[in-house]
Amino acid sequence: MSDFKIAQRETSSVNVLELKGYLDAHTAPKLEEAFQDLLKTNRTKIVVNCKDLSYISSAGLGVFMAFIEDVRNKSGDIKLTNMSKKVYNVFDLLGFPLLYEIFKDESEAVRKFSDRSPLDNDRK
Amino acid sequence: MKLRRIIYLGASALLFLIVFVIDVMRKNVELYVGGLNLTRDILVIVAFALIYTYFDAKKVHLGLTPIKRLGLVMIYSVIVGLFCLAIVLIADDTFDTKDKTLIPLTYGQLFIATFLSIVLGIFAILVFRLVREFVLFKRKRGTKRNFLIFVGLMLAAAVSTIPLQHLERSVLTSILVGFAILFAVVNSFRLPWIVYLTKREKIFCLIYGFVLFFTFVGLNVALGAESSMIRRSLLYHSYPLKQFVFLTTIFGNIYFGMAFISTLFHLPTAGAFDRKSSEVTSLHNLSRLVTQVFDFNELVETVTSMTLQVCEAKSCWLEIIHYADEQERNTLATNEVFAYNGTIGNYIIQLAGRKNIEQGEINSLLLTGEKTLRDQVIEERKPIVVEDLAADNRFKAIRKTKSAIGSLVVVPLVSHAGMIGILYATKDTPYGFFKDDVDVISAFADQATIAIENSRLIKKSIERERLLREMTLAQEIQRKLLPQSLPCYSTMEIDAISTPAFEVGGDYYDVVELDGNKLGIVVGDVSGKGVSAAFYMSEVKGIFQSLSRLYPSPREFMIKANEALSGSIDKHSFVSLIYAVVDVVTGKLTLARAGHCPLLHLSGENVAYLRPGGMGLGLSNGTAFEHSMEESTIHLKPGDVCVFYTDGVTEARHGDDEFGYERLLQAVVASKQKSASAVKDDILHSVKAHADKEENDDDLTVVVVKWLGSQP
Repeated sequence: MSDFKIAQRETSSVNVLELKGYLDAHTAPKLEEAFQDLLKTNRTKIVVNCKDLSYISSAGLGVFMAFIEDVRNKSGDIKLTNMSKKVYNVFDLLGFPLLYEIFKDESEAVRKFSDRSPLDNDRK
Repeated sequence: MKLRRIIYLGASALLFLIVFVIDVMRKNVELYVGGLNLTRDILVIVAFALIYTYFDAKKVHLGLTPIKRLGLVMIYSVIVGLFCLAIVLIADDTFDTKDKTLIPLTYGQLFIATFLSIVLGIFAILVFRLVREFVLFKRKRGTKRNFLIFVGLMLAAAVSTIPLQHLERSVLTSILVGFAILFAVVNSFRLPWIVYLTKREKIFCLIYGFVLFFTFVGLNVALGAESSMIRRSLLYHSYPLKQFVFLTTIFGNIYFGMAFISTLFHLPTAGAFDRKSSEVTSLHNLSRLVTQVFDFNELVETVTSMTLQVCEAKSCWLEIIHYADEQERNTLATNEVFAYNGTIGNYIIQLAGRKNIEQGEINSLLLTGEKTLRDQVIEERKPIVVEDLAADNRFKAIRKTKSAIGSLVVVPLVSHAGMIGILYATKDTPYGFFKDDVDVISAFADQATIAIENSRLIKKSIERERLLREMTLAQEIQRKLLPQSLPCYSTMEIDAISTPAFEVGGDYYDVVELDGNKLGIVVGDVSGKGVSAAFYMSEVKGIFQSLSRLYPSPREFMIKANEALSGSIDKHSFVSLIYAVVDVVTGKLTLARAGHCPLLHLSGENVAYLRPGGMGLGLSNGTAFEHSMEESTIHLKPGDVCVFYTDGVTEARHGDDEFGYERLLQAVVASKQKSASAVKDDILHSVKAHADKEENDDDLTVVVVKWLGSQP
C-alpha cells in the first residue's frame, strides 16, 4: 500500500515524472511535493509517465486537480502518458480525458509541448 | 493558661521577697529559730522550681533551630558574663566569715547577693533547658536515660548541700559532683545536630562555640574560685543553687567545647554534605514531579532548573527525540548527521528547554566532527563525561567561540519503549563532574524520563479520546444522512447498503420521491476518506434533496449540482454521482452519470454496463462539464435488475487481484431470480469472500432495484 516512488528526469526542456507503485492518500504527499518543487522553479512543462503506476485512488487524482490550474496559469501543462488499461479506466470514468491530454506514449506528449498548439479543453 | 503562668511568676517573686525579708531580719537580729535555714533553703528551691515551671508553661524557646538556640545561649552567657564582670568591678566583697558561715556586712551586699542569685539562677535554668534540647536531638536508646541520670546527680549534689554551712564541704557532695561531671561528659557526646547544619551554619557554630567556651570558662572561674565574690554571694543565698548553677556551667563548658571541636572536624566535609543533602531534596522534589504531567512545558522547566541545582551545574539543556514512525523507535541509525528541529531519517531532535546557554553554542558544541556526542550517547545509551573541553580535540570549534564551558556531561533518557531524550549539563571548570555527580544526574534523568513519558502518554490518551468522541459523533450524524427507510412499491423492489471504511466515509446513496410517480435514486462517492469526505457528502445530500425536485431531468440536475458544488469544493476534491429517475408506473428509467461507476443492467439474458458520458462534479466549472454530460433512457421489463454501486465493490482487493466488473456481473447473474435484498446480500457476500482483509479499505455501497412490473 505505501510503495510509491517518483523518478524525475528532463528531456528537451520537458520534465518527466515516472510514477511507480500505488498512488493513494498515504503516498499522495510525495507527488504533491514533486509538483510543488517544479512549480517553485518554474518548470511547468510536465509529463507524467504512468507506465509503472499500478493503482491510483481519488486522493491521487486530487493531486493533479490541485496543481493543474497553477501550472496552466504559468503557460505550462501536465500531460499524462503510458497508462495501463486499468488505470486509464479510472481516469476515464471520471472524465479526465476531457480535461487533460492523455497519450499512449511519452514521446508524443513531449512532442506536443514543442508543437505549442493551443490546448482546446476547458481550463478549470 | 496565662493565669497559671502569672501565678507561678507571682508566687516565685513572693518567695524571693520572703527570703529577702528573712535575710534582712537575720542581719539585724540573731535568729535562733530551728530549721530556719532549712526552710529558707527550701523556699529558694521552690522559688526556682516555680520559675522553671513558668518557663515550661510559657513554652519558651521551643521549636528553635539548633543554630538559633546556640546563638541564644551565647547571648545569654555573654550578657550574664558581662553583668558578673560589672558587679565584680563595681562592688566590694563585704562578706564576713565566721565558722564557715558567710555574713553580709552591708545591706548592699545582701541585695547584690540576692539579685545575683536570681539572675544566675534564671540563667542556669534557661541554659539548662536549651542544652537539654541539644542533647535530646535525634535521641537514641539510652539518651534520655543518660540525661536523666545526669539531672538526677546534679539535683542530688545540689540537695546534698542543704545541711552544710556556706563554706563547708562534704565528701558526699564531692562524690556526687564528680559523678555528675562524669555524666556531663557522657552527655556531651550527643552532637548529632552538628552534621545537619549547612556549611554556613557550621561556621557560625564555630564562632558561637568559641565565644561560649571562653565565656563559660569565665563563669566557671567566677563560680569556682574561693575568693570570688560571685561564688560567695551565691553560696550565701543558696548553696544548692550555687551547686546547680556551677554544674550547669561546667556542663555547658564541656558540651560546647566538644561541639566546637566536632564542628571543626566536620568543616572540611561540610560542602560535600550540603551537596548530598540538596541532591536528596531535589530527588524528592523530582519524584513528586512525576505527578506533574499535564503541562509538558512546565515539566521541562522543572527538569532543567533542577538539573542545575542537583549537580551545581552552570548550564544545562534537554533534547527530546521525536519519532516519525513510532515503531522504529529502537532502531536508530547513528551514522546520520543531526540537525535541530529538522527531520533526519526517522526522527527529529527537539530542543525542549535550556538554561544559561544559547542555541548557537549548543550547535557548535554538538555539530563537531563525524561522530558527535549525540551520536555517541544514542549509540551507547550510557552517560558520557567530557572532563576537559578545552583539551579535547573534538571540540575545536567551540574553543573558537571562547565559550566558558570547562566540563560537560551527557545523559540519555531511556524509557521502556526506547530512547526518548538527552540531558546535558556543563560546568565552568574542567574535571567538575565526579562519578557521584554522574550517578545523581542519571538517577535524576530516570525520574525525568518517567515524568516525560507519562506526560506524552497522557496527552496522546486525551487526544485519542477526543478524536474518538468526535468520530463517534460524526458517525452518528452521517448514519442519519442515509435514508432511514426505502419506499415500497408494488412494481419494484429496492434495497441498499452502505458501510463506511473508517468510522466516517465518503460514500452516499439517497432516494427522493418526485412528482408524477417518480423515484429518484442517487449513489455517490466523495474523493478522500474520513471526516472531510463526510462533510462534502452531507452537502451533496442537501443539493440532491433540493435540486432533484426542481430539475426532474437527471442531466439538468447534474449540471445544476455541479454549479452548486463547484463554488465550495476545494481544488483537491471531487464527487462522482450516478442519478436515475424511475417512473414507478411505466418502468422508464432515465440516467445520468457524473464520473461514477457504470450502472449494471440485467434484462433477461442480457447483461450490460450503462456508461453515459459525464465527468465528476467539481472537476470543471466551465462548459466542459455541460458538454460532456449525456443522458440515457431504458425501459425496464419485469425481472430486470439494476445495480448501483461504488468503487469499493469493484476495487475490493485480494492481493493484487481486484474484485472487478466481471465478478460483479457474475454475482448478479447468479442471483437474478432472487429479490432485490437477496441480490444485494449475494453481492456483498461475494465481495467479502473475495477480499483478503477483515475490514474494507474503501467505503462500500450497493443499491439494487428489481423491476416487477405492474401486477395483473
